[in-house]
Amino acid sequence: MSYVSVQHLQKSYAGTPVFSDINCEIGKGEFVTLLGPSGCGKSTLLRCIAGLTAVDAGQIILDGQDIVPLSPQKRGIGMVFQSYALFPNMTVEQNVAFGLRMQKVDAGDSRQRVLEILRLVELHDFAARYPHQLSGGQCQRVALARSLVTRPRLLLLDEPLSALDARIRKHLREQIRQIQRELGLTTIFVTHDQEEALTMSDRIFLMNQGKIVQSGDAETLYTAPVDVFAAGFIGNYNLLDADSASKLLQRPVSGRIAIRPEAIELSRNGEADALIRSHSLLGNVIRYRVEARGVELVVDVLNRSAADLHPDGARLSLSIDPSALCEVA
Amino acid sequence: MSRAEPGSVGLYHRVVVYLLFAILLLPLAGTLVYSIASSWSATVLPSGFTFKWYVQLWSDPRFLHAFGQSLLVCVGALVLSVVLILPLLFVVHYHFPKLDALMNILILLPFAVPPVVSSVGLLQLYGSGPLAMVGTPWILIGCYFTVALPFMYRAITNNLQAINLRDLMDAAQLLGASTFQAAFLVVLPNLRKGLMVALLLSFSFLFGEFVFANILVGTRYETLQVYLNNMRNSSGHFTSALVISYFFFVLVLTWAANILSKDKSQ
Repeated sequence: MSYVSVQHLQKSYAGTPVFSDINCEIGKGEFVTLLGPSGCGKSTLLRCIAGLTAVDAGQIILDGQDIVPLSPQKRGIGMVFQSYALFPNMTVEQNVAFGLRMQKVDAGDSRQRVLEILRLVELHDFAARYPHQLSGGQCQRVALARSLVTRPRLLLLDEPLSALDARIRKHLREQIRQIQRELGLTTIFVTHDQEEALTMSDRIFLMNQGKIVQSGDAETLYTAPVDVFAAGFIGNYNLLDADSASKLLQRPVSGRIAIRPEAIELSRNGEADALIRSHSLLGNVIRYRVEARGVELVVDVLNRSAADLHPDGARLSLSIDPSALCEVA
Repeated sequence: MSRAEPGSVGLYHRVVVYLLFAILLLPLAGTLVYSIASSWSATVLPSGFTFKWYVQLWSDPRFLHAFGQSLLVCVGALVLSVVLILPLLFVVHYHFPKLDALMNILILLPFAVPPVVSSVGLLQLYGSGPLAMVGTPWILIGCYFTVALPFMYRAITNNLQAINLRDLMDAAQLLGASTFQAAFLVVLPNLRKGLMVALLLSFSFLFGEFVFANILVGTRYETLQVYLNNMRNSSGHFTSALVISYFFFVLVLTWAANILSKDKSQ
Protein backbone atom coordinates (compact mmCIF):
# COMPACT_ATOMS: atom_id res chain seq x y z
CA MET A 1 0.00 0.00 0.00
CA SER A 2 1.26 3.47 -0.79
CA TYR A 3 2.26 5.83 2.00
CA VAL A 4 0.97 8.98 0.30
CA SER A 5 -2.00 8.77 -2.01
CA VAL A 6 -3.43 11.76 -3.83
CA GLN A 7 -6.87 10.96 -5.19
CA HIS A 8 -8.92 13.00 -7.66
CA LEU A 9 -7.56 16.27 -6.33
CA GLN A 10 -9.09 19.43 -7.75
CA LYS A 11 -8.11 23.05 -7.35
CA SER A 12 -9.14 26.17 -9.21
CA TYR A 13 -8.64 29.90 -8.70
CA ALA A 14 -11.55 32.17 -9.61
CA GLY A 15 -13.06 29.52 -11.88
CA THR A 16 -9.77 28.76 -13.66
CA PRO A 17 -8.69 25.21 -12.89
CA VAL A 18 -5.09 24.74 -11.72
CA PHE A 19 -5.58 20.99 -11.82
CA SER A 20 -8.81 19.04 -12.21
CA ASP A 21 -8.09 15.41 -11.43
CA ILE A 22 -4.67 14.69 -9.97
CA ASN A 23 -3.89 11.17 -8.84
CA CYS A 24 -0.56 9.84 -7.62
CA GLU A 25 0.83 7.26 -5.23
CA ILE A 26 4.08 7.55 -3.30
CA GLY A 27 5.74 4.75 -1.34
CA LYS A 28 7.25 5.08 2.16
CA GLY A 29 10.80 6.42 2.05
CA GLU A 30 10.53 7.35 -1.62
CA PHE A 31 12.02 10.54 -3.05
CA VAL A 32 9.68 11.75 -5.76
CA THR A 33 9.90 14.88 -7.84
CA LEU A 34 7.12 16.98 -9.32
CA LEU A 35 8.76 18.30 -12.47
CA GLY A 36 7.26 20.77 -14.88
CA PRO A 37 7.39 24.27 -16.33
CA SER A 38 6.27 27.35 -14.39
CA GLY A 39 2.52 27.51 -13.93
CA CYS A 40 1.92 23.77 -14.43
CA GLY A 41 0.43 23.46 -10.92
CA LYS A 42 3.28 21.61 -9.18
CA SER A 43 3.79 24.17 -6.40
CA THR A 44 0.02 24.47 -5.87
CA LEU A 45 -0.17 20.68 -5.51
CA LEU A 46 2.62 20.82 -2.94
CA ARG A 47 0.87 23.61 -1.01
CA CYS A 48 -2.38 21.60 -1.09
CA ILE A 49 -0.55 18.62 0.42
CA ALA A 50 0.95 20.92 3.08
CA GLY A 51 -2.47 22.38 3.85
CA LEU A 52 -1.42 25.91 2.97
CA THR A 53 -3.87 26.02 0.06
CA ALA A 54 -7.38 24.61 0.38
CA VAL A 55 -8.43 21.99 -2.17
CA ASP A 56 -11.79 22.06 -3.97
CA ALA A 57 -12.28 18.30 -3.98
CA GLY A 58 -10.39 15.04 -3.61
CA GLN A 59 -8.44 13.27 -0.93
CA ILE A 60 -4.86 13.25 0.28
CA ILE A 61 -4.15 10.09 2.26
CA LEU A 62 -1.01 10.16 4.37
CA ASP A 63 -0.16 6.95 6.21
CA GLY A 64 -3.77 5.78 5.98
CA GLN A 65 -5.32 9.06 7.14
CA ASP A 66 -7.12 11.64 4.99
CA ILE A 67 -5.33 14.88 5.86
CA VAL A 68 -7.49 17.25 3.79
CA PRO A 69 -9.66 18.26 6.78
CA LEU A 70 -6.57 18.86 8.97
CA SER A 71 -4.90 22.24 9.49
CA PRO A 72 -1.22 22.58 8.42
CA GLN A 73 -0.20 22.44 12.10
CA LYS A 74 -1.75 19.00 12.51
CA ARG A 75 -0.54 17.32 9.34
CA GLY A 76 2.96 16.50 10.59
CA ILE A 77 4.51 17.74 7.36
CA GLY A 78 7.83 19.58 7.05
CA MET A 79 8.41 22.03 4.24
CA VAL A 80 11.38 23.89 2.82
CA PHE A 81 10.64 27.04 0.82
CA GLN A 82 12.49 28.56 -2.12
CA SER A 83 12.85 31.80 -0.13
CA TYR A 84 14.18 29.80 2.89
CA ALA A 85 11.57 31.57 5.10
CA LEU A 86 13.97 31.68 8.03
CA PHE A 87 12.81 33.89 10.89
CA PRO A 88 15.15 36.92 10.73
CA ASN A 89 14.73 37.77 14.42
CA MET A 90 15.97 34.37 15.58
CA THR A 91 19.39 32.74 15.58
CA VAL A 92 20.02 29.53 13.67
CA GLU A 93 19.47 27.55 16.87
CA GLN A 94 16.24 29.38 17.70
CA ASN A 95 15.00 28.91 14.13
CA VAL A 96 15.62 25.18 14.24
CA ALA A 97 14.17 24.88 17.75
CA PHE A 98 10.97 26.76 16.81
CA GLY A 99 8.99 23.65 15.85
CA LEU A 100 10.04 21.87 19.06
CA ARG A 101 9.09 24.97 21.07
CA MET A 102 5.62 24.83 19.50
CA GLN A 103 5.41 21.14 20.42
CA LYS A 104 6.44 22.10 23.98
CA VAL A 105 9.39 19.72 23.94
CA ASP A 106 11.48 19.90 27.11
CA ALA A 107 14.32 22.48 26.77
CA GLY A 108 17.16 20.01 27.36
CA ASP A 109 15.80 17.48 24.90
CA SER A 110 15.11 20.24 22.39
CA ARG A 111 18.67 21.57 22.57
CA GLN A 112 20.10 18.11 22.05
CA ARG A 113 17.88 17.44 19.03
CA VAL A 114 18.69 20.85 17.53
CA LEU A 115 22.44 20.28 17.86
CA GLU A 116 22.10 16.78 16.40
CA ILE A 117 20.24 18.01 13.36
CA LEU A 118 22.61 20.97 12.92
CA ARG A 119 25.50 18.50 12.95
CA LEU A 120 23.70 16.51 10.26
CA VAL A 121 23.58 19.58 7.98
CA GLU A 122 27.13 20.54 9.03
CA LEU A 123 26.08 23.83 10.63
CA HIS A 124 26.67 23.13 14.33
CA ASP A 125 29.31 25.89 14.46
CA PHE A 126 26.78 28.43 13.19
CA ALA A 127 24.11 27.94 15.88
CA ALA A 128 24.48 31.43 17.33
CA ARG A 129 24.39 33.26 14.02
CA TYR A 130 21.46 35.14 12.54
CA PRO A 131 20.11 34.28 9.07
CA HIS A 132 21.53 37.46 7.53
CA GLN A 133 25.02 36.31 8.58
CA LEU A 134 24.74 33.14 6.46
CA SER A 135 25.16 32.41 2.75
CA GLY A 136 22.21 31.23 0.64
CA GLY A 137 23.33 27.62 0.81
CA GLN A 138 23.74 27.77 4.58
CA CYS A 139 20.30 29.37 4.94
CA GLN A 140 18.74 26.56 2.97
CA ARG A 141 20.49 23.96 5.13
CA VAL A 142 19.11 25.69 8.24
CA ALA A 143 15.65 25.61 6.65
CA LEU A 144 16.13 21.90 5.96
CA ALA A 145 17.28 21.28 9.57
CA ARG A 146 14.30 23.25 10.88
CA SER A 147 11.85 21.11 8.92
CA LEU A 148 13.60 17.84 9.85
CA VAL A 149 13.97 18.41 13.60
CA THR A 150 10.26 17.86 14.27
CA ARG A 151 10.55 14.41 12.61
CA PRO A 152 7.82 15.05 10.01
CA ARG A 153 5.88 12.23 8.40
CA LEU A 154 6.48 13.78 5.00
CA LEU A 155 9.01 16.32 3.75
CA LEU A 156 8.08 18.81 1.03
CA LEU A 157 10.76 20.74 -0.83
CA ASP A 158 9.46 23.65 -2.92
CA GLU A 159 12.22 24.54 -5.40
CA PRO A 160 14.72 24.79 -2.55
CA LEU A 161 17.74 25.12 -4.80
CA SER A 162 16.46 27.64 -7.33
CA ALA A 163 17.93 30.70 -5.64
CA LEU A 164 21.41 29.22 -5.28
CA ASP A 165 24.40 29.31 -7.61
CA ALA A 166 25.31 26.22 -9.65
CA ARG A 167 28.17 24.89 -7.52
CA ILE A 168 26.29 25.16 -4.20
CA ARG A 169 23.18 23.74 -5.83
CA LYS A 170 25.04 20.62 -6.91
CA HIS A 171 26.57 20.11 -3.47
CA LEU A 172 23.29 20.72 -1.68
CA ARG A 173 21.27 18.34 -3.82
CA GLU A 174 23.72 15.56 -2.99
CA GLN A 175 23.47 16.48 0.69
CA ILE A 176 19.65 16.56 0.65
CA ARG A 177 19.52 13.16 -1.05
CA GLN A 178 22.01 11.67 1.39
CA ILE A 179 20.11 12.96 4.45
CA GLN A 180 16.80 11.77 2.98
CA ARG A 181 18.24 8.26 2.50
CA GLU A 182 19.78 8.26 5.98
CA LEU A 183 16.48 9.20 7.62
CA GLY A 184 14.34 7.13 5.23
CA LEU A 185 12.10 10.16 4.88
CA THR A 186 9.32 10.22 2.29
CA THR A 187 10.01 13.35 0.28
CA ILE A 188 8.25 15.31 -2.44
CA PHE A 189 10.51 17.68 -4.31
CA VAL A 190 9.28 20.36 -6.69
CA THR A 191 11.49 21.68 -9.44
CA HIS A 192 11.46 22.92 -13.02
CA ASP A 193 15.08 21.80 -13.48
CA GLN A 194 15.20 18.45 -15.31
CA GLU A 195 18.80 17.80 -14.27
CA GLU A 196 17.87 18.13 -10.59
CA ALA A 197 14.90 15.82 -11.10
CA LEU A 198 16.87 13.20 -12.99
CA THR A 199 19.80 13.09 -10.56
CA MET A 200 17.87 13.14 -7.27
CA SER A 201 14.64 11.22 -7.68
CA ASP A 202 13.51 7.66 -7.21
CA ARG A 203 10.52 8.61 -9.33
CA ILE A 204 9.48 11.65 -11.30
CA PHE A 205 5.98 12.98 -11.98
CA LEU A 206 6.18 15.15 -15.06
CA MET A 207 3.43 17.78 -14.99
CA ASN A 208 2.00 20.02 -17.67
CA GLN A 209 -1.08 22.26 -17.57
CA GLY A 210 -2.38 20.76 -14.34
CA LYS A 211 -1.94 17.13 -15.37
CA ILE A 212 0.63 14.46 -14.64
CA VAL A 213 1.63 13.57 -18.18
CA GLN A 214 4.18 10.89 -17.36
CA SER A 215 5.61 9.22 -14.29
CA GLY A 216 8.43 6.79 -13.79
CA ASP A 217 12.09 6.58 -12.85
CA ALA A 218 14.65 8.91 -14.37
CA GLU A 219 15.72 6.42 -17.04
CA THR A 220 12.17 5.80 -18.26
CA LEU A 221 11.42 9.49 -18.48
CA TYR A 222 14.65 10.23 -20.26
CA THR A 223 14.67 7.38 -22.74
CA ALA A 224 10.95 6.91 -23.40
CA PRO A 225 9.05 10.20 -23.42
CA VAL A 226 5.34 9.58 -23.97
CA ASP A 227 4.51 12.74 -25.89
CA VAL A 228 5.91 15.82 -27.57
CA PHE A 229 5.81 17.81 -24.33
CA ALA A 230 7.77 15.16 -22.39
CA ALA A 231 10.32 14.88 -25.19
CA GLY A 232 10.65 18.65 -25.40
CA PHE A 233 10.93 19.17 -21.65
CA ILE A 234 13.38 16.41 -20.82
CA GLY A 235 16.70 16.42 -22.63
CA ASN A 236 17.24 18.12 -25.97
CA TYR A 237 15.30 15.74 -28.15
CA ASN A 238 15.14 16.20 -31.93
CA LEU A 239 11.41 16.15 -32.64
CA LEU A 240 10.56 15.18 -36.20
CA ASP A 241 7.16 15.04 -37.86
CA ALA A 242 6.29 12.03 -40.04
CA ASP A 243 7.54 13.64 -43.29
CA SER A 244 10.92 14.71 -41.90
CA ALA A 245 11.36 11.37 -40.14
CA SER A 246 10.60 9.47 -43.37
CA LYS A 247 13.14 11.58 -45.28
CA LEU A 248 15.82 11.11 -42.63
CA LEU A 249 15.30 7.39 -42.06
CA GLN A 250 14.56 6.71 -45.75
CA ARG A 251 11.54 4.55 -44.91
CA PRO A 252 7.89 5.37 -44.37
CA VAL A 253 7.11 6.62 -40.86
CA SER A 254 3.53 7.21 -39.72
CA GLY A 255 3.91 9.32 -36.56
CA ARG A 256 6.18 11.77 -34.78
CA ILE A 257 9.65 10.60 -33.87
CA ALA A 258 11.91 11.84 -31.07
CA ILE A 259 15.65 11.21 -31.23
CA ARG A 260 18.10 11.99 -28.42
CA PRO A 261 21.02 14.13 -29.69
CA GLU A 262 23.60 11.73 -28.20
CA ALA A 263 22.02 8.74 -30.01
CA ILE A 264 23.17 10.14 -33.36
CA GLU A 265 26.69 9.33 -34.46
CA LEU A 266 28.92 11.33 -36.79
CA SER A 267 31.91 9.72 -38.49
CA ARG A 268 34.36 10.36 -41.28
CA ASN A 269 33.82 6.89 -42.78
CA GLY A 270 30.94 6.10 -45.12
CA GLU A 271 28.62 8.24 -47.20
CA ALA A 272 29.09 11.96 -46.43
CA ASP A 273 25.36 12.72 -46.05
CA ALA A 274 25.50 15.25 -43.19
CA LEU A 275 26.65 18.86 -43.32
CA ILE A 276 27.83 20.62 -40.13
CA ARG A 277 26.02 23.97 -39.98
CA SER A 278 27.41 25.16 -36.64
CA HIS A 279 28.84 23.88 -33.42
CA SER A 280 29.21 24.94 -29.80
CA LEU A 281 31.46 23.56 -27.13
CA LEU A 282 29.59 22.73 -23.89
CA GLY A 283 32.68 21.45 -22.06
CA ASN A 284 32.69 17.66 -22.17
CA VAL A 285 30.15 17.68 -25.00
CA ILE A 286 30.25 19.28 -28.45
CA ARG A 287 26.81 20.23 -29.74
CA TYR A 288 26.51 20.24 -33.55
CA ARG A 289 23.72 21.64 -35.64
CA VAL A 290 23.66 19.30 -38.61
CA GLU A 291 21.68 19.10 -41.85
CA ALA A 292 21.12 15.59 -43.15
CA ARG A 293 18.84 14.60 -46.03
CA GLY A 294 17.09 17.97 -45.81
CA VAL A 295 16.42 17.65 -42.07
CA GLU A 296 18.01 19.82 -39.35
CA LEU A 297 19.23 17.90 -36.31
CA VAL A 298 21.04 18.57 -33.05
CA VAL A 299 23.84 16.09 -32.39
CA ASP A 300 25.79 15.78 -29.14
CA VAL A 301 29.25 14.24 -29.36
CA LEU A 302 31.45 13.44 -26.39
CA ASN A 303 34.50 15.69 -26.50
CA ARG A 304 37.22 13.01 -26.11
CA SER A 305 39.92 14.40 -28.35
CA ALA A 306 40.61 16.91 -31.13
CA ALA A 307 39.37 14.28 -33.61
CA ASP A 308 35.80 14.82 -32.28
CA LEU A 309 35.90 18.50 -33.15
CA HIS A 310 34.68 19.03 -36.74
CA PRO A 311 34.72 22.45 -38.41
CA ASP A 312 31.52 24.14 -39.66
CA GLY A 313 30.86 23.16 -43.30
CA ALA A 314 32.44 19.70 -42.89
CA ARG A 315 30.65 16.78 -44.54
CA LEU A 316 30.38 13.59 -42.48
CA SER A 317 28.51 10.35 -42.33
CA LEU A 318 25.51 10.24 -39.97
CA SER A 319 24.07 7.11 -38.34
CA ILE A 320 21.26 6.64 -35.82
CA ASP A 321 20.88 3.75 -33.39
CA PRO A 322 17.41 2.35 -34.30
CA SER A 323 16.69 1.47 -30.66
CA ALA A 324 16.99 5.17 -29.76
CA LEU A 325 14.05 6.16 -31.99
CA CYS A 326 11.02 7.05 -29.89
CA GLU A 327 7.54 7.31 -31.29
CA VAL A 328 5.69 10.07 -29.44
CA ALA A 329 2.05 11.10 -29.37
CA MET B 1 34.13 52.60 -8.06
CA SER B 2 36.18 54.83 -5.84
CA ARG B 3 34.26 57.25 -3.67
CA ALA B 4 37.12 59.75 -3.76
CA GLU B 5 36.13 62.80 -5.75
CA PRO B 6 38.53 65.00 -7.69
CA GLY B 7 39.50 68.11 -5.65
CA SER B 8 37.18 70.79 -7.03
CA VAL B 9 34.12 68.54 -7.35
CA GLY B 10 34.67 67.19 -3.82
CA LEU B 11 34.97 70.72 -2.48
CA TYR B 12 31.78 71.75 -4.28
CA HIS B 13 29.88 68.81 -2.80
CA ARG B 14 31.16 69.60 0.67
CA VAL B 15 30.21 73.26 0.34
CA VAL B 16 26.67 72.31 -0.72
CA VAL B 17 26.29 69.97 2.27
CA TYR B 18 27.71 72.48 4.77
CA LEU B 19 25.56 75.24 3.32
CA LEU B 20 22.46 73.11 3.68
CA PHE B 21 23.36 72.31 7.27
CA ALA B 22 24.01 76.00 7.97
CA ILE B 23 20.63 76.98 6.51
CA LEU B 24 18.89 74.36 8.64
CA LEU B 25 20.83 74.99 11.83
CA LEU B 26 21.15 78.78 11.74
CA PRO B 27 17.60 79.57 12.90
CA LEU B 28 17.90 76.96 15.62
CA ALA B 29 21.29 78.28 16.72
CA GLY B 30 19.85 81.82 16.77
CA THR B 31 16.87 80.68 18.83
CA LEU B 32 19.16 78.79 21.20
CA VAL B 33 21.39 81.82 21.76
CA TYR B 34 18.32 84.03 22.20
CA SER B 35 16.87 81.63 24.75
CA ILE B 36 19.96 81.89 26.94
CA ALA B 37 20.49 85.62 26.44
CA SER B 38 19.60 87.86 29.37
CA SER B 39 18.78 90.60 26.87
CA TRP B 40 19.61 91.01 23.18
CA SER B 41 18.09 93.93 21.36
CA ALA B 42 20.28 96.78 20.11
CA THR B 43 23.63 94.98 20.14
CA VAL B 44 25.32 92.53 17.75
CA LEU B 45 25.90 90.05 20.58
CA PRO B 46 23.75 89.43 23.67
CA SER B 47 24.58 91.55 26.68
CA GLY B 48 24.79 88.44 28.92
CA PHE B 49 23.80 84.82 29.28
CA THR B 50 21.34 83.25 31.68
CA PHE B 51 19.24 80.15 32.18
CA LYS B 52 16.46 82.08 33.87
CA TRP B 53 14.08 81.65 30.92
CA TYR B 54 14.42 77.89 31.13
CA VAL B 55 13.95 77.95 34.90
CA GLN B 56 10.92 80.16 34.46
CA LEU B 57 9.50 77.90 31.75
CA TRP B 58 10.06 74.59 33.53
CA SER B 59 8.61 75.97 36.77
CA ASP B 60 5.48 77.25 35.05
CA PRO B 61 2.69 74.81 36.01
CA ARG B 62 0.68 75.83 32.93
CA PHE B 63 3.57 74.80 30.66
CA LEU B 64 4.05 71.49 32.46
CA HIS B 65 0.34 70.85 32.22
CA ALA B 66 0.27 71.62 28.48
CA PHE B 67 3.35 69.47 27.96
CA GLY B 68 1.73 66.56 29.79
CA GLN B 69 -1.54 66.99 27.90
CA SER B 70 0.26 67.04 24.54
CA LEU B 71 2.11 63.91 25.54
CA LEU B 72 -1.09 62.21 26.63
CA VAL B 73 -2.99 63.01 23.44
CA CYS B 74 -0.10 61.95 21.19
CA VAL B 75 0.55 58.72 23.06
CA GLY B 76 -3.19 57.97 23.17
CA ALA B 77 -3.52 58.47 19.41
CA LEU B 78 -0.45 56.34 18.72
CA VAL B 79 -1.59 53.52 20.99
CA LEU B 80 -4.93 53.55 19.15
CA SER B 81 -3.09 53.51 15.81
CA VAL B 82 -0.94 50.53 16.76
CA VAL B 83 -3.85 48.59 18.18
CA LEU B 84 -5.98 49.16 15.08
CA ILE B 85 -3.50 49.43 12.22
CA LEU B 86 -1.21 46.49 12.99
CA PRO B 87 -3.96 43.86 12.82
CA LEU B 88 -5.47 45.65 9.82
CA LEU B 89 -2.16 45.60 7.96
CA PHE B 90 -1.65 41.99 8.83
CA VAL B 91 -5.08 41.00 7.54
CA VAL B 92 -4.69 43.07 4.35
CA HIS B 93 -1.25 41.70 3.51
CA TYR B 94 -1.79 38.10 4.53
CA HIS B 95 -5.40 37.41 3.62
CA PHE B 96 -6.53 40.13 1.20
CA PRO B 97 -3.46 41.51 -0.62
CA LYS B 98 -5.72 43.01 -3.30
CA LEU B 99 -7.14 45.40 -0.69
CA ASP B 100 -3.75 47.10 -0.42
CA ALA B 101 -4.52 49.23 -3.50
CA LEU B 102 -7.75 50.47 -1.88
CA MET B 103 -5.96 51.10 1.42
CA ASN B 104 -3.33 53.16 -0.36
CA ILE B 105 -6.07 55.51 -1.58
CA LEU B 106 -7.84 55.59 1.80
CA ILE B 107 -4.71 56.51 3.74
CA LEU B 108 -4.17 59.55 1.52
CA LEU B 109 -7.50 61.06 2.56
CA PRO B 110 -6.18 62.73 5.73
CA PHE B 111 -3.68 64.55 3.51
CA ALA B 112 -6.21 65.33 0.78
CA VAL B 113 -8.45 67.39 3.08
CA PRO B 114 -6.75 70.47 4.60
CA PRO B 115 -6.83 70.49 8.46
CA VAL B 116 -8.84 73.72 8.59
CA VAL B 117 -11.55 72.22 6.35
CA SER B 118 -11.77 68.92 8.22
CA SER B 119 -11.79 70.81 11.54
CA VAL B 120 -14.93 72.65 10.47
CA GLY B 121 -16.53 69.31 9.56
CA LEU B 122 -15.49 67.76 12.85
CA LEU B 123 -16.86 70.76 14.79
CA GLN B 124 -20.22 70.27 13.07
CA LEU B 125 -20.26 66.51 13.67
CA TYR B 126 -19.00 66.37 17.22
CA GLY B 127 -20.02 69.82 18.51
CA SER B 128 -23.35 68.62 19.89
CA GLY B 129 -25.57 65.59 20.06
CA PRO B 130 -24.74 62.19 21.50
CA LEU B 131 -21.11 62.36 20.32
CA ALA B 132 -20.33 65.85 21.64
CA MET B 133 -16.57 65.65 22.05
CA VAL B 134 -15.38 69.09 20.98
CA GLY B 135 -13.21 70.60 23.69
CA THR B 136 -12.22 67.20 25.09
CA PRO B 137 -9.00 65.27 24.45
CA TRP B 138 -11.05 62.43 22.93
CA ILE B 139 -11.74 64.31 19.72
CA LEU B 140 -8.05 65.15 19.46
CA ILE B 141 -7.04 61.52 19.97
CA GLY B 142 -9.48 60.39 17.26
CA CYS B 143 -8.40 63.16 14.92
CA TYR B 144 -4.69 62.51 15.52
CA PHE B 145 -5.30 58.84 14.80
CA THR B 146 -6.37 59.74 11.26
CA VAL B 147 -3.34 62.03 10.89
CA ALA B 148 -0.99 59.27 12.02
CA LEU B 149 -2.64 56.68 9.75
CA PRO B 150 -0.64 57.41 6.56
CA PHE B 151 2.72 57.44 8.40
CA MET B 152 1.94 54.23 10.23
CA TYR B 153 0.47 52.43 7.25
CA ARG B 154 3.27 53.28 4.81
CA ALA B 155 6.18 52.58 7.14
CA ILE B 156 4.81 49.25 8.32
CA THR B 157 3.74 48.22 4.79
CA ASN B 158 7.31 48.75 3.55
CA ASN B 159 8.55 46.63 6.42
CA LEU B 160 5.98 43.91 5.71
CA GLN B 161 6.92 43.76 2.05
CA ALA B 162 10.57 43.37 2.99
CA ILE B 163 10.06 40.34 5.24
CA ASN B 164 8.11 38.02 2.91
CA LEU B 165 5.14 37.75 5.25
CA ARG B 166 3.39 34.86 3.49
CA ASP B 167 6.33 32.45 3.57
CA LEU B 168 7.17 33.32 7.19
CA MET B 169 3.59 32.71 8.26
CA ASP B 170 3.36 29.47 6.27
CA ALA B 171 6.68 28.22 7.68
CA ALA B 172 5.65 29.03 11.25
CA GLN B 173 2.27 27.35 10.85
CA LEU B 174 3.79 24.19 9.38
CA LEU B 175 6.06 24.10 12.42
CA GLY B 176 2.98 24.00 14.63
CA ALA B 177 2.35 27.67 15.44
CA SER B 178 -1.21 29.01 15.46
CA THR B 179 -1.91 32.12 13.37
CA PHE B 180 -1.69 34.25 16.52
CA GLN B 181 1.58 32.62 17.63
CA ALA B 182 3.06 33.03 14.14
CA ALA B 183 2.06 36.69 14.05
CA PHE B 184 3.23 37.40 17.59
CA LEU B 185 6.48 35.39 17.65
CA VAL B 186 7.64 35.67 14.06
CA VAL B 187 6.06 38.62 12.26
CA LEU B 188 5.78 41.23 14.99
CA PRO B 189 9.46 41.17 16.10
CA ASN B 190 10.44 41.71 12.48
CA LEU B 191 8.19 44.75 12.21
CA ARG B 192 9.92 46.51 15.11
CA LYS B 193 12.01 48.71 12.86
CA GLY B 194 9.10 49.84 10.70
CA LEU B 195 6.95 50.35 13.77
CA MET B 196 9.57 52.49 15.50
CA VAL B 197 10.02 54.64 12.40
CA ALA B 198 6.25 55.00 12.06
CA LEU B 199 5.78 55.90 15.73
CA LEU B 200 8.63 58.38 15.70
CA LEU B 201 7.48 60.12 12.54
CA SER B 202 3.91 60.29 13.77
CA PHE B 203 4.89 61.47 17.23
CA SER B 204 7.12 64.27 15.94
CA PHE B 205 4.34 65.38 13.62
CA LEU B 206 1.55 65.16 16.20
CA PHE B 207 3.54 66.76 19.00
CA GLY B 208 3.99 69.86 16.84
CA GLU B 209 0.40 69.87 15.52
CA PHE B 210 -1.42 73.16 16.05
CA VAL B 211 -4.42 73.62 13.72
CA PHE B 212 -6.61 70.76 14.98
CA ALA B 213 -5.60 71.36 18.61
CA ASN B 214 -6.42 75.07 18.42
CA ILE B 215 -9.73 74.74 16.57
CA LEU B 216 -11.11 71.57 18.17
CA VAL B 217 -10.11 72.06 21.81
CA GLY B 218 -8.31 75.43 22.13
CA THR B 219 -7.68 76.48 25.73
CA ARG B 220 -10.17 73.96 27.13
CA TYR B 221 -7.47 71.32 26.78
CA GLU B 222 -4.28 73.27 26.16
CA THR B 223 -1.60 71.38 24.27
CA LEU B 224 2.01 72.51 23.90
CA GLN B 225 1.51 74.24 20.55
CA VAL B 226 -1.62 76.00 21.74
CA TYR B 227 0.29 77.11 24.85
CA LEU B 228 3.11 78.40 22.61
CA ASN B 229 0.55 80.36 20.60
CA ASN B 230 -1.03 81.77 23.73
CA MET B 231 2.36 82.85 25.07
CA ARG B 232 3.33 84.66 21.84
CA ASN B 233 2.94 88.05 23.50
CA SER B 234 5.24 87.23 26.41
CA SER B 235 9.03 87.62 26.29
CA GLY B 236 10.73 86.34 23.11
CA HIS B 237 13.44 84.80 25.31
CA PHE B 238 10.80 82.78 27.10
CA THR B 239 9.18 81.47 23.89
CA SER B 240 12.67 80.72 22.48
CA ALA B 241 13.37 78.61 25.57
CA LEU B 242 10.06 76.85 24.89
CA VAL B 243 10.93 76.14 21.24
CA ILE B 244 14.40 74.85 22.16
CA SER B 245 12.95 72.68 24.94
CA TYR B 246 10.46 71.25 22.46
CA PHE B 247 13.17 70.65 19.87
CA PHE B 248 15.48 69.06 22.44
CA PHE B 249 12.71 66.76 23.64
CA VAL B 250 12.01 65.51 20.09
CA LEU B 251 15.78 65.10 19.54
CA VAL B 252 16.20 62.99 22.69
CA LEU B 253 13.17 60.95 21.72
CA THR B 254 14.57 60.32 18.23
CA TRP B 255 17.89 59.27 19.69
CA ALA B 256 16.24 56.96 22.21
CA ALA B 257 14.04 55.41 19.53
CA ASN B 258 17.11 54.81 17.38
CA ILE B 259 18.89 53.07 20.22
CA LEU B 260 15.83 50.97 21.02
CA SER B 261 15.19 49.99 17.41
CA LYS B 262 18.77 48.87 16.84
CA ASP B 263 18.02 45.24 16.20
CA LYS B 264 20.81 42.80 16.93
CA SER B 265 19.52 40.55 14.16
CA GLN B 266 19.90 43.29 11.53
